Amino acid sequence: MIGPEFPAVLGAAARGDEEAFGRLWHDLQPRLLRYFMVAVPTAAEDLASETWLAVVRGLDRFRGNEPAFRAWVFTIARHEVLDWRRRAARRVTEAVTMNGLPEQAAPDDPAAAALEDLSTRAALAVVATLPPDQAEAIVLRVVAGLGVDQVAGIMGKRPGTVRVLTHRGLRRLAERLGADRIWGVV
Amino acid sequence: MDADDASPAEMRRRPDPHADPLALDEETAERLLAGQLSPAQAPPRYAEVAALLAAAAAPPTPEELAGKAAALAELRAVTHAHAAIPRRAARPAQRRRVGLVAAVVAGALVTGGVAGAATGHLPGPVRDAARSILSTVGGAEPATPVTSGPASTPRASTPGSAGAGQGPASTGATGRGPGTTGAAAAANPNLEKLCRAYLAGEGAEQGGKLDAAAFEALARAAGGKERISTYCETVQPKESKPKKHQQPAPPDDPGPGQGPGGPSPSSSGDNNGQGDPQADRP
Repeated sequence: MIGPEFPAVLGAAARGDEEAFGRLWHDLQPRLLRYFMVAVPTAAEDLASETWLAVVRGLDRFRGNEPAFRAWVFTIARHEVLDWRRRAARRVTEAVTMNGLPEQAAPDDPAAAALEDLSTRAALAVVATLPPDQAEAIVLRVVAGLGVDQVAGIMGKRPGTVRVLTHRGLRRLAERLGADRIWGVV
Repeated sequence: MDADDASPAEMRRRPDPHADPLALDEETAERLLAGQLSPAQAPPRYAEVAALLAAAAAPPTPEELAGKAAALAELRAVTHAHAAIPRRAARPAQRRRVGLVAAVVAGALVTGGVAGAATGHLPGPVRDAARSILSTVGGAEPATPVTSGPASTPRASTPGSAGAGQGPASTGATGRGPGTTGAAAAANPNLEKLCRAYLAGEGAEQGGKLDAAAFEALARAAGGKERISTYCETVQPKESKPKKHQQPAPPDDPGPGQGPGGPSPSSSGDNNGQGDPQADRP
């Protein structure tokens, strides 16, 4: 979060002020990378880069406060993911399965890996083992720091649906991690 | 219809830990998501989940912030490209590619400390800068000036006006430019982007796909325009080859058009009723 200075920072960034833009980037780039790590781990860096290109181009036309800005950036990010998947679907020569994308990134036993060494990357790999909608809703809430309504807007779902998705995701994570504990994996 | 809508009731049920050890009420779920519950504070079966979410939302790592210089360069490039290549950038189907090409060209503009590119011709210092950057990669002949007009044919070079001995970056107006030593470091990402743009248009008439000046720059780096494909195969990182740029930009470019029409202060400002519980998180 940038806080009270946000309007000034946004305005300066829109005028091409690099330091101001750097602050926006510093605040959101790690969150974007983590979002993409869950959604399309093989292209996280690229999609983040594409997202910033779109942000830069639209910066001077954006109006809104910091939460709205963050939601806007993640709306663009989500479009990048959807575009990427559409293109992936067209690349028939490549053995990329649409639905298998998040799972592909997971290490052999991500849950165990995450609890041994709670690195962010490992934690995201565990989240990525959830059904895609649940994983996305949780990442947008937890990593992007967005509220239920914002996530609902970004995902094109109702707030109640987002609550259900995150709730189910949390449960499933608890099941998964608890099972590992019970079976002595951790 | 969204099947998920069927059961918000599962959250409203009063949790009965005896019947369901994983029961989670909505408030606890909310606090978990907001990072307000440490593993010790979380319900017993959710301690690991709390730890997991905390790791997912941990402060940024240096690795994640490593791309800042490149991002700023991109900002610089796009900002300048707005002024330099307005007509072409305005064509939606080409926006993505032009952005990449413009990034390279405008990057050279900044490096050379030249602001007035509105004529559509690359000024001499820019050509020199481009040549210097490219010559560090090898294959180029530094003595021959890069062609000027974007609209001219790639090989229609205009020697004489270039002042071939002129240094490219010098210190620039800002002192922030990469300078001659930084030029080498900047070369590969730039060429990589050019190659991406080039490969995106492969199979079509290249002159129509790449800005002529950028194409010429690429040809010089490759040692001839017929060798660009081969050259780009080597410049492109393996994993980035099958990327998006082989496909046309989608019609629903989420870029500027998305802007103010999307989330607005009234629709998504402070209406989540929770403020920002994660203000101190990354």
